[in-house]
This record gives sequence, C-alpha cells and structure tokens, in this order.
Amino acid sequence: MWKSKTRLSDDQINALEAHLAGTLKPVTPPNEVVQRLRERIRFPQPDEIVSRLRDWERMFFVFGGVMSGMLVLITVARALYYLVGRKHM
Amino acid sequence: MPELEFNEEDVLTRASKGDRDAFGLLYERYIDRIFNYVYYRTGNLHDAEDLTARVFQRAMNHIQNYTDRGVPFSAWLYRIAHNLVANWHRDRSRRQEIPINDVPVLPSKGDHPERNLVRSQEQDSLLRLIRRLPGERQNLLILKFVENMSNAEIGAIMGRSEGAVKSLYHRTLLALRDQLGDQSINLDNE
Repeated sequence: MWKSKTRLSDDQINALEAHLAGTLKPVTPPNEVVQRLRERIRFPQPDEIVSRLRDWERMFFVFGGVMSGMLVLITVARALYYLVGRKHM
Repeated sequence: MPELEFNEEDVLTRASKGDRDAFGLLYERYIDRIFNYVYYRTGNLHDAEDLTARVFQRAMNHIQNYTDRGVPFSAWLYRIAHNLVANWHRDRSRRQEIPINDVPVLPSKGDHPERNLVRSQEQDSLLRLIRRLPGERQNLLILKFVENMSNAEIGAIMGRSEGAVKSLYHRTLLALRDQLGDQSINLDNE
C-alpha cells in the first residue's frame, strides 16, 4: 500500500483522518477540576504577589500617591486651623 | 456546557477594564477548549489542570494588552497556552523526568462514559505516535481534531498562513503513515 514516499492517496488520507478523529476526541474536564480552576483564578498566585512587590515603578507611583495625598490633607487641615483660629481672635 | 451567549467584544472591553465577572464569562466559554488543548499536549491530568489555571491567570493579568488586530481572543488564549506548554516541556526535559506517553482516559463529549474507560489498543498506539511528533505537529492535530478548527483558524494561532498549515498537515499525515507502517494499526481496511 505504501508505494509513494511523498504522496498520500485519498484512501490513506481518509483512513488516517478516521483514526485521528477516533483518537483525538474532545474530553470533558471533571467538574471538580473546573471548580478548582474557577477558585484558583479568583486570587493571584503567590509568585504573582512577589512579582508585584518587585515592580519598583508601581511602588514608586504608589509611594508618590500616598505622599501627595498626605500633603493635601495637611494643607487642608492647616487652612481649617488657620480659619477657625481667626474666628476666635 | 452549552455555549454562552454574549457579545464577546463588549465582554472583552469590560474584562480589560478589570471587570472580573466579565472575565468569568470568558473563562466559562473557553475553559473546556483550553483544558482539552493542554490535556492532550501534556498527557497528564494534574499538569493539565495546573497549566490551564496559569493560562487563565496570565490572560487575566494581561488582558489589557490584548487588542483585536485580526487575531481572535481564542487565538490569543491558545498562544498563551502554547507558550506555557512549551515551557513545561522544556522544564521537564531539563529535569529529565520519565516521559509520560499515555494520555489518561477522560470521558469524551457525547459518548457513553463506559465506552471511554476502555480505549482501544489501536487508539493508544496512535496516541503514543502523536505524542512523539514535534510540538507544532501535535498542536496542529489537536487543534484540527479535538478543537475542530479550520486551517485558517489554526494558522491564526500558530502564526502561519493557511497554505503553510495545509502543507504541515500533509507532512504530518505522511510521517504518521510511515510510522504506522511499523505498527499493528491497519489503514488498508478502512
């Protein structure tokens, strides 16, 4: 049957495809696996958390944001203190 | 699970803005397909579960980078899966573990469960042959037969033209035919 080394007859193609279709069938992942996967993707993996902590650029922006926020709060507090203080004078 | 009906473009936009519920819809739509792909590529239920989880975690973390440039979201997901499976194979070969040739039996869709418990010897032999093929040829066969994709869809995932996929498929069938010549699987009587 295997006469040509580089060509396949239609019969051979059909037979091979039938075997492949019979072997490579879609499977259903077990329900518990799907459930576990669903739970796993809700939270970042520990290595993901570590990589986030190593993200210096993000850390810099977070730190900058916190400092700016504190500065705004202090300025507002000082302004209020000044205005309230003037009323009492 | 029945195919979920929703506007994928809209869901993708929401998911890329950090909406986890939207990503959950994508997860439900693609979990079976990605699991199937990884399962056949690893031949190992435990690693298939682990890698499938990592595919979706990576997709969730980088979904804002996904832009539809003619490549569907499914192709993007399969590429992530392909890269993770490639890394997995590389790590295993470094650790020189005993190769797992047999894919464990899981129930196929639409078949009676009892029928699936006994996979024929012929199918086992063919599966072993498939798992000895180069990675890209295994990908091609899995996407074609397990995922029922066209050559054009496979090309989008593998980054090849439709013609190149067709040619690769032909070469894969030739290789399988030659290897089957040494096995007990008979193609003549089909």
